[in-house]
Amino acid sequence: MLLTIDNLRKAYHDTPIITIPSLALNPGTYWFRGINGSGKSTLLRTLAGMLPFEGSITLDGQYEVNRHPVPYRLRVNYAEAEPLYPDFLSAHDIIRFVGKAKQATSEQIASLAERLGVDTYWHKPTGTYSSGMMKKVALLMAFLGQPALILLDEPLTTIDDRAAQTLLALIQEHQARGVSFGLASHQDVGQTELVIDRVFLVENGEVY
Amino acid sequence: MKLLINTLVRPYYIRNAGFLGVIFYLAFGFMRPTDHYALMAAILTSPFLFVLTTLLWALYTLRATVFVRQLISEPPHRFLLSARLLPPTIRWSGWVLVAVLLLLPVEGYASWMISHGVIHQLWVANGAIVGTVLALVGLSAGAIDHRIRHPYPTRTIRVPRPQRPVPYVLFFPGFLLRHRPVALLLTKTASLGLLVGVCRLYPTDDYDQRLLLICLMMSLLTHAPTCRACYEFETTWLRLLPNLPFSRTTRLTRYALTYALLWLPELPLLLYNRPTEITLTYVVLLWFTGLAWLLLFHARSYRADFNPDRWMQVLLLGFLTCLMLIMFGVPVWIWLAIGVSGCLLHWRMRP
Repeated sequence: MLLTIDNLRKAYHDTPIITIPSLALNPGTYWFRGINGSGKSTLLRTLAGMLPFEGSITLDGQYEVNRHPVPYRLRVNYAEAEPLYPDFLSAHDIIRFVGKAKQATSEQIASLAERLGVDTYWHKPTGTYSSGMMKKVALLMAFLGQPALILLDEPLTTIDDRAAQTLLALIQEHQARGVSFGLASHQDVGQTELVIDRVFLVENGEVY
Repeated sequence: MKLLINTLVRPYYIRNAGFLGVIFYLAFGFMRPTDHYALMAAILTSPFLFVLTTLLWALYTLRATVFVRQLISEPPHRFLLSARLLPPTIRWSGWVLVAVLLLLPVEGYASWMISHGVIHQLWVANGAIVGTVLALVGLSAGAIDHRIRHPYPTRTIRVPRPQRPVPYVLFFPGFLLRHRPVALLLTKTASLGLLVGVCRLYPTDDYDQRLLLICLMMSLLTHAPTCRACYEFETTWLRLLPNLPFSRTTRLTRYALTYALLWLPELPLLLYNRPTEITLTYVVLLWFTGLAWLLLFHARSYRADFNPDRWMQVLLLGFLTCLMLIMFGVPVWIWLAIGVSGCLLHWRMRP
């Protein structure tokens, strides 16, 4: 079992945002769809171990996020929908820092940077980036290291067609290697060439 | 108007609680009303002292205005930029209200001075005070309006870029240097000025060790907004951070190094100005106590149930409690132990 969720409840100031009594996911690719404000991003951020919550989320049957935060976060990567980085730092500074934390090799970083076209603005400060350039940095970092699960929030928004094709190819390559994906999108990811194992509808904080 | 107060004025007072607490304590803790009346009489009759007072008020106005201008440029507040679409009269009335509320401490003291001037029939001086306050309000409102019309400054401080990747411990100091240089400068000036002042002005005996501790607490209060700024920096600009596989110890060590860097200027200054009766060990302990308390402030800012509204009350009440305990003779190593254990306790409670 890839991910086991038990009695998950995420609330902001007593307002429940996500409630999942029980959910077990086998390795695979999952698409969480829902309208704006349905709780997709909060769900992904919670699964990425970025937000406090009630309940438990266990990876591979052994790493519970709150009890084993380091191995869990080492194997669960995340790319946010609208990334923002300190404007005086370059992609180089941020990716090196995250890459070291995720135990990525220099070769892996260089290869991903080249494929996504991040190498063309590698040393420029992020303050000069467009939202698409920023998004490619976030997507690159989601593939660093040896993740078991990659969570991508609105992966296809703001990036150009070429980058979108590269991203889809990267996802397919990683799928072939047994890496699982959680995609949150209001767009129709099903129309791409991706193999989606299951579609979840996120509505009013509940997952169907 | 309510929106402007909630988004610009309230955050200013909440984030600068420590700084304002120190000013309040210095003005009304050390000085009696009679001292204030003597000071006012001197200011109202001496052009030199009047210019000096105006400069201090201008410095405060600069701090408050720069804070609001920076707030407007930050992503969560960028919706305020649409205010430039409003007619100038409505827009300006909003900025004037914001400026008036930001400068309340200046206006309060100026009103007190004016009432003193009325009693002594110092009409020219009173006119000059009114003119100064109106000019400061106008300049502040104008500076806020300028930022709304020119939201993305083309000239900012250039942080030197080394060839090697910037290490994590320099991320936050770099952000402060680039985005909050005035706040950083004023914080360090106030903190260093307080420490040097106490070291140099007072003769030393057992009593003055306590005075040095009180001064340390005041210096820490001036740093309280910096600790909150670190939280805001990471939740706005480094949102990926909680996903990174760092243990709690690694995270705490990184923060300790970051704050040690920010708190570092105080160490050589304390060592250089150390009164002969104060031992080297005491100064080093004092510096580490400061670092531990900064980390405690930081850990407190990161709590899930952190309420910014209560931050000011906690700081002021905490400061008064510390003051009493210091006067009762609680030594520096106890304060170090409180800082370290409080920080570790908060850190353990973090999700």
